Amino acid sequence: MVTTVADDMFTGDAISDPYSYYGKLRDEDPVHWNELYELWVVTGHDDLVWMTRHHELFSSEFWKRDQRSPYPAIDESDMGLYQFMREFFMDWFIQHDRPVHTDQRKVVHKWFNPNSMELWRPMVRSVIKDCLDEADASGHMDVMRDFATPLPLFVIAQMMGMPHYDRKFIRSMAEKLLFIGRGETDRMQPLTEAIKEFIEYLTPLVEEKAAKPVDENDLLSVLASGEKTGALTRDEVVADAILLLLAGHETTINLICNGTLAFTQHPEQWKILKEGRLEEPDAITRATEECLRYDPPVKSIQRVASVDAELGGKLIREGDRIRWFISSANRDPKKHDNPDTFDISRWPNTHVAFGSGIHHCLGATLARLEGQEAFKALAERYDNIKVETNEFEYQPSITFRSLKTLPVSLT
Amino acid sequence: MARKLQITVNHDLCVGNAMCETIAAKVFILNDDRQSEAKYPDADTEENILEAAENCPVSAIKVVDADTGETLFP
Ligand code: HEM
Ligand code: SF4
Repeated sequence: MVTTVADDMFTGDAISDPYSYYGKLRDEDPVHWNELYELWVVTGHDDLVWMTRHHELFSSEFWKRDQRSPYPAIDESDMGLYQFMREFFMDWFIQHDRPVHTDQRKVVHKWFNPNSMELWRPMVRSVIKDCLDEADASGHMDVMRDFATPLPLFVIAQMMGMPHYDRKFIRSMAEKLLFIGRGETDRMQPLTEAIKEFIEYLTPLVEEKAAKPVDENDLLSVLASGEKTGALTRDEVVADAILLLLAGHETTINLICNGTLAFTQHPEQWKILKEGRLEEPDAITRATEECLRYDPPVKSIQRVASVDAELGGKLIREGDRIRWFISSANRDPKKHDNPDTFDISRWPNTHVAFGSGIHHCLGATLARLEGQEAFKALAERYDNIKVETNEFEYQPSITFRSLKTLPVSLT
Repeated sequence: MARKLQITVNHDLCVGNAMCETIAAKVFILNDDRQSEAKYPDADTEENILEAAENCPVSAIKVVDADTGETLFP
């Protein structure tokens, strides 16, 4: 079917309001061939879930298998850098299929399960307290800079046994790596720079941890133990450490920032949260899920077809690349009543903010814990959070839904 | 003899992560929707079944002592 939606996914409109852009696609052509980028764009809830749960048809080995030229285009002279970047990303365990994926995920999986995560709750609370005490002193903060970013960054760095003074370095690398979801033709430069610097920084740390017996309170040490069991090579340990550092904060940042914004725009929902008047599961739990559904931190993820397969009545050919959009799936009227309404009482909330199937987010429990504690602390401390700007500028990324700043006053 | 377990999987929560199947493959089988069903609750040790339940990323698995009704997980 022909749709009225233009194929450029980096226009100002598509970045500032992905709900209209991908929502229109979902309603008009839910499995859409984007001619401009030679890419299938999947936007409906059911197709997304079916696809992610059929990992034998839709491979996660995107960087290994994709044979087409990069989209959007990059500078011809950067093809060598592109190749370097692909080879690095291929080492991430998220980029593997079964059976390798299972063996590699198992190295760290149980450290992220709900019981293990509970142990970190006191630490998360204390970081939140520090951030908000500081904001209280002035009565203002930039939610992005002063709360949403330092919290998850501190937490994942702490879990991975990184020296605290390295957090700035980790953040600056992450900022360059954000270029992965952007459209600039020279984006390979910052991307590959960051990969090289990150590897250089982590290699001696991994070496040190690998030489010692495994320390169960240190995720980097746990990762390094995967080398001894044969699940991971040294390069893969380093690559997965970068994956955990990045995925561990770049995403949760947006949960906290986008969620806070949603509450400031829906005072009646803020009131319900503050009064806590909802049955089991409690208001904080439900609210965090609704924030994840309503303005999801991750907009889209890629796959590549490993065989010819049918999806939503379309024939996807072996080797075709695919991008599935959480933003539109979470607002799918076939799945959610009044999908564009922010309603924290919604339950069950079957959003797909963390994906689905065997690659469902490893850090989901951690992200939930951080989100719940952050919203709870805000609700306990403040009657009013007022946004001090009329303009909301988002990072020009098709991967992350990320505000640049969110200045607020607190009373 | 090992005690009898009653195992249920909440399909509002289950995201088909398949960790339960990886850990206790004789008990947990994924259905056509790729959601887990505790098809054979007697087919593995209690220890393995509890490990599978603990490692479900969304805590969708509930394990109960079938005779006493005591909740073993969560
Ligand atoms: C609100 C915050 C978060 C969101 C929205 C989010 C979203 C996602 C999504 C959509 C996927 C699926 C990828 C795919 O199917 O290819 C995923 C996977 C993953 N996430 Fe998260 N994530 C969040 C927080 C975290 C945190 C805190 C960590 C911690 C280290 C983390 C680590 C990972 C890893 C390692 C994977 C790969 C899992 C696999 O391939 O088996 N994420 N995440
Ligand atoms: S581990 Fe949990 S989410 Fe995964 S298939 Fe089993 S019950 Fe479902």
